[in-house]
Amino acid sequence: MTTMRRRGTYLRHAALVGVSAIMLVPFYWVLKTAVTNENIYAYPPRLLPERPHLFNFVDVWYFIPFPRYLLNSVIVSAIVVACNIAFNAMAGYALTKNFPGKRAVLLLFLSCMLIPFQATIIPAYLITSKLGLLNSYVGLAFPLLSTIVCIFVFKAAFEAVPHSLVDAARIDGLSEWRIIVRVLMPLSKAAIATNVVLAFIWSWNAFLWPLIITREPTMQTLPLGLARFLSYLEDTTGALYAFAVMVLAPSIFVFLMAQREFIRGLTSGATKG
Amino acid sequence: MISRRTLLKSGTGAVVSALAMPAIAQAPKKISFLTWNIIDQEPMIRGWIARFVKDRPGVEVEWLDKKGPEIPVFYQTQLAAGTPPDVINTQGALGLEYAAQGALLDLTPRLKADAAARDRFNADYLSNWAYEGNNYMLPFYITKTLLFYNKPLFQKAGLSAPPHSFDAILDAAQKMTTADASGFLTLNFDWLYWPLYAMNGIDLLSKDLAKPTFNTPKAIEVTDRLAKATEAGTINKISWTGRWVEPNGAFAAGNVGMLHAHSPAYFFVKGQGKWVTPETLGVAHAPGGFATPNSHGLGISKASKNPDLAWDFLKFVTNEGAQELGVNRKLVTGNIAVDNKNLADLEKTDPLVYSILKTQLEHTDKMVGNWRLGNDSKVKEAFWPELQNALLGRKDAKTALADAERKVARELKRG
Amino acid sequence: MMPATGEAAGRQGGWWQRKRTRDLALIACFLLPSLTVFFLYRVLPLGWNVLLSVQYWSPLKPARWAGLDHYEEMLLYDDVFWQSLTNTLIFIGAAPFAIALALGIALLVNSDLKGAAVYRSIVFLSYPLMTVAVGIIWRWMYDERGGIINFALRASGLITKPIPFLQSFDWALPSVIVAEVWQVLGFYMIIILTGLQSIPQHLYEAASIDGAPRWAQFWRITLPMLKPSLFLCAVVGILNSFTSFDLVYIMTNGGPGHATELLITYIYKSGFGQTKFDYAAALTVVQFILLLALTYLANRAAGGNAGSLEHR
Repeated sequence: MTTMRRRGTYLRHAALVGVSAIMLVPFYWVLKTAVTNENIYAYPPRLLPERPHLFNFVDVWYFIPFPRYLLNSVIVSAIVVACNIAFNAMAGYALTKNFPGKRAVLLLFLSCMLIPFQATIIPAYLITSKLGLLNSYVGLAFPLLSTIVCIFVFKAAFEAVPHSLVDAARIDGLSEWRIIVRVLMPLSKAAIATNVVLAFIWSWNAFLWPLIITREPTMQTLPLGLARFLSYLEDTTGALYAFAVMVLAPSIFVFLMAQREFIRGLTSGATKG
Repeated sequence: MISRRTLLKSGTGAVVSALAMPAIAQAPKKISFLTWNIIDQEPMIRGWIARFVKDRPGVEVEWLDKKGPEIPVFYQTQLAAGTPPDVINTQGALGLEYAAQGALLDLTPRLKADAAARDRFNADYLSNWAYEGNNYMLPFYITKTLLFYNKPLFQKAGLSAPPHSFDAILDAAQKMTTADASGFLTLNFDWLYWPLYAMNGIDLLSKDLAKPTFNTPKAIEVTDRLAKATEAGTINKISWTGRWVEPNGAFAAGNVGMLHAHSPAYFFVKGQGKWVTPETLGVAHAPGGFATPNSHGLGISKASKNPDLAWDFLKFVTNEGAQELGVNRKLVTGNIAVDNKNLADLEKTDPLVYSILKTQLEHTDKMVGNWRLGNDSKVKEAFWPELQNALLGRKDAKTALADAERKVARELKRG
Repeated sequence: MMPATGEAAGRQGGWWQRKRTRDLALIACFLLPSLTVFFLYRVLPLGWNVLLSVQYWSPLKPARWAGLDHYEEMLLYDDVFWQSLTNTLIFIGAAPFAIALALGIALLVNSDLKGAAVYRSIVFLSYPLMTVAVGIIWRWMYDERGGIINFALRASGLITKPIPFLQSFDWALPSVIVAEVWQVLGFYMIIILTGLQSIPQHLYEAASIDGAPRWAQFWRITLPMLKPSLFLCAVVGILNSFTSFDLVYIMTNGGPGHATELLITYIYKSGFGQTKFDYAAALTVVQFILLLALTYLANRAAGGNAGSLEHR
């Protein structure tokens, strides 16, 4: 039996290595171009970087007001992540109950997912303007304070918690809010992690909304610095990719911190139910 | 008899208003200035603003810069909200579209009143933005298409001089075509390829811009020849499928004989092409001197709350600022005096750039591809995909042009 | 659930009623923050689009009634619309394959395999990368001359002439779809991984004891328990036909011709490219109806109620 297990393991590793290789090929080229200044369209394509240097990363720091943009992005993303966890957990929990009009609310949520941002630019701007939130952190964060995908992630996670636990808590006299915080959330760590990761990525990479909503350069977020690297007079591809790598890094960091929750170790014995 | 009370009241009123007057005059007048992707010139523009406000106490200028694809989104949203930037910079025919939309201030009366301001510009370029006879923009910097050619490839094919006719272009291109090299490449956005048709006597629309006139046997023949040349590899396919980076990159790679593009392409090509030197890069007009302009203009939003100040700023930028812009960015601004001086200097310091920029000021009466349409983008959307179908061999030229004619006629009828 | 009326049960019924109202009020409170955000930024804008779609409107001119003119134009005269629609459906049609792939990967990493964390991170790495960077690098990868894909294919002898992936009317859309799947695979993966966490271990243990083979466990336990996650992935797959706007815009801008034109790129071009906001609004409404229909079908396939496991 152990040989079969080992063969199974080898096969699994082989498959995963293959998938990883495919996923990494474009990344290798992004990194390679970020540390050199070569023309990526040169023929034939070179496999190894020629005279690598880190100056592109320095350029990125100085071409745009990087620290300011970074600060703005951090603040906006922090607001978005915090509100997402709170609002989505509440809404997800509400959706686990039965109430009149539940189907309508579900339908409403699903339909809201299907409205593309590009079609909402002008009305969203006018509404934010009426709320007096133009050019502000709250204004930048507002449209992303809750996302439907994440509500459903919480809903599914909460539904998977055995009713017995929830009923026991209710008999103990816990209020609904306490039930969420004390009973459901600790058992839905994966859902929380997903919320954090996705909310962070969506707000960190948001480009079109900050473009429209900010006038002053001091309120702009990191992706808006992109314009500086897409000059049409010079080939700034190296700096552009360095910029992309620097913008990517925090998202990866958040993912790495959160990803321990995506897998329940079989050895930890943390079984449910 | 004026009662003491009334005297006191009116006296107080006079004092109050006297005190208030300087205060009102000191309330900051603010204008905003939107530019199109020249963020790399930040020190220069900040310098302009500093000089402008120094002589005008109480005035503030807010500077915004957006990339080309973002300007329409940004501007239209601001327009819908009623807060468009006062002075805006557009490229190509977008200025005409905004003028037709009613977003821009008609500058004609101001130009009439200030003849000096009008006469300092090249009249042909100034008329790039004349919609229904009225001027809506001043030139900020101007470009038009020309023919770059790879001298070594020309010599290798036994050609001595750049082509002087459409047939000569195709002929020369064919001679330079090998398995690795193609003969001719053109940019295709914003009607930049139109000189190829203009030099064959084909016009897109009638003089009153009401009817399509391009569906002629000659046009079909030209399209057919271009399509066949593309299929044979004589004309690089990127001409019809690429935008900016690919075509210029291909020419910079050194295996394309001719590039038909507007002057800024030089800087991109020089940056990427190690082979580019004054000896190896040839510069010429397209046959017949035909060229499509792709200029940047400056206009004032009609919703501006300080139009006079905006006009002041506009004149400042295109006069005092033009000199610095022309030198820093090595381009032609449309301001005659400034351009003459800059070119005279360039002739000594950089003969290659001088020869390129000189073409931008010659044959300005032969500019084509610049119909004063308020719905330029719609007409372009109706025409270009069909032409592209023909050029890439998806449809035969006859059907494609007929389909294009139908669609363009529909757009023109809609107005 | 209605409380008994009448004097006798009055006090009992009254108490019940108050608790029920309290419950409903609480539910409403819990839903309020999210609903506010969506009302302001999705529902109202959708209403704006619906209103706009039946008018002739431009930011500075007074609006005129248009009735169904725009819809008529779209459905009867606009072949770009029909091409965008077809392309969008093809785009969405690729989603099930991507989800299946993600499911496979998720199952592989959802174990005590050594280095699972590394594999997970590698697969997810592409999702947070800025779409502009993704678009530019894939555009390069597909390039005829300098691109790595053609180079590899030619070097391995599979083809002799390079394939103009993004310039070809036939290859462009599949090429864009491959790039999009590359980017979004990690996203599907973590949704599925999150769902896998909710499956109680004891079900597998019981099945093993009963002697059920692995694949039967998969079909009978894993798959049904993953219904909500898979439904979510399906909806995201439908959404991707417009959230991947940036990718398509950068890679091909809808070209060549309209070979990669999606409804969303056409909407954006009509609105901000050609200032036809009213027409773009009509297109938005039509796209919304189409996507709603597809979501409804996905919901039915998942057993209704967003695939929730309420029967437990």
